[in-house]
Amino acid sequence: MSPMWGSVEQYSAIHWSWAIAIYLFLAGLSSGSIIVALLVKWNRHERSNSSIWDAMIKAGSVVAPVAIFLGLLILVIDLGRPLSFYWLLIRYNITSVMSLGVLFLLIYTPIVMVFMLLVFERTVIKYPFFAPLESLINVVKSFHSYAKIIEYFLFGAALCVGSYTGFLLSALYAIPLWNSPLLPILFLTSSLSSGVAVNILIGLLFFKSTINPESIKYLLVLDTRVILTELPLLGLFFIGLFYAGGDVSHAAKMALTEGFWAGIFWFGVIGVGLGLPLITVIIALRSHVYRVGYVVINSMVVILGVLMLRYYIIYAGQIYLG
Amino acid sequence: MGKQYRLIYDENLCIGCQACSVACRVENSVPDEVYRLQVHLHTKGEFPNLGMNFERLSCVMCENPPCVSVCPTNASFQSKDGLVHIDERACIACKYCILACPYHARFINPLKNVVEKCNFCYETRVSKELLPACVSICPTDALSFGDMRHKHSLVHQKSHKEVLVFPKAHLGTKPKVAFIPNRKGMKS
Ligand code: SF4
Ligand code: SF4
Repeated sequence: MSPMWGSVEQYSAIHWSWAIAIYLFLAGLSSGSIIVALLVKWNRHERSNSSIWDAMIKAGSVVAPVAIFLGLLILVIDLGRPLSFYWLLIRYNITSVMSLGVLFLLIYTPIVMVFMLLVFERTVIKYPFFAPLESLINVVKSFHSYAKIIEYFLFGAALCVGSYTGFLLSALYAIPLWNSPLLPILFLTSSLSSGVAVNILIGLLFFKSTINPESIKYLLVLDTRVILTELPLLGLFFIGLFYAGGDVSHAAKMALTEGFWAGIFWFGVIGVGLGLPLITVIIALRSHVYRVGYVVINSMVVILGVLMLRYYIIYAGQIYLG
Repeated sequence: MGKQYRLIYDENLCIGCQACSVACRVENSVPDEVYRLQVHLHTKGEFPNLGMNFERLSCVMCENPPCVSVCPTNASFQSKDGLVHIDERACIACKYCILACPYHARFINPLKNVVEKCNFCYETRVSKELLPACVSICPTDALSFGDMRHKHSLVHQKSHKEVLVFPKAHLGTKPKVAFIPNRKGMKS
């Protein structure tokens, strides 16, 4: 093809870059960690040392609001016109997944805040530093009797936030690698996997540092379970693209074989994100050595893998159009 | 009832002179390095059995525009006449519509920092019963524009006489820009 006259750069530009990948990751991390925290809270494991489970709930209640605030900040700064973002709040388009996302986030974000304050109610009251916030604390305390309802509501909102980031991309039929019905479920699953990992990590590092090997073993297995559901989903995702034929299967083939991003997929997403944690777990389970260090490294590797999946999907989608 | 605009691009008459692209830039003050309209050349076959196809790249004014359905602020909207426009005030430059457009018709105007694309020169010309700048300048009359409701319009007549191709018709976007495909030279 020859343009004959003029630059053709605009026809192959990357319009959504690293900032969007990080936002998708953080939104997933936030919803994943709160979902995992709630699941733990509802089915608390009494049989082993239960304190690590408490730590996971605390971790989730902190990670969720921090991650979503950070993500939204990055998202708004990345807009071509950051200061005009208020239009998102005053005009809605129900056919736009982005608009739906704004609605979900308007519900989700305040609830994760309230949930955090509920979890840390005693700590908050203890510190004189928070004294000026007393009225706020009282408001939160008055919510205490609704805690269960808030939790159910939060769970639903978190599911919406975790999956909307997938629908955001899959709604675009102009981009073959994104236009897959499996993308939302893939994103949700990997969000859960990053949620498990981040809660274990933060829980171990900040809320409970000495725990018994029994629960370490359990945490390692927990990390692994979500990875084992993600792997077949990724397989199905590409198989679906191949069977779609035409441009779509061509784009999928390129995305798995061509250039830098194929490398990121095989080494980053598959190797580091899924393979390495599996190997760690197998070695740990075989040799019966359960060190906190294993769990910490394992969790970080899982989180890195989830981040790379978002990067890969965002960039490969825009580059390989078939 | 609104209008039924149609723009027909006859690949057989196009000589690739780029007058349309230049006229567009002047009419709409399009900044350097970005384009509402380009004409590309595709060469097929091997010498001496060659085929040369021209292709017009611009917004095709979808009847079912994906850019409009994804825009979170309704900054991209469809008018009663079926044309797709951008309300620059409400555009937050999220670029969602750029990604949603299967025709790569949209871009960010680097001076205004909002999304831009071909609008059939609606404000400056078509609303005043003038032809779009590209159509009026084309030296070979490869471009024709008009309202399909009028039986005597050029577009109506051409649509009856010629085989029209609507780009990426399988997507169901229903473009208002149609091509009369090249009949000469090697096809592949
Ligand atoms: S060609 Fe692209 S920009 Fe134009 S109406 Fe269709 S989707 Fe929108
Ligand atoms: S870039 Fe502007 S016109 Fe396009 S979807 Fe975003 S707000 Fe709408």
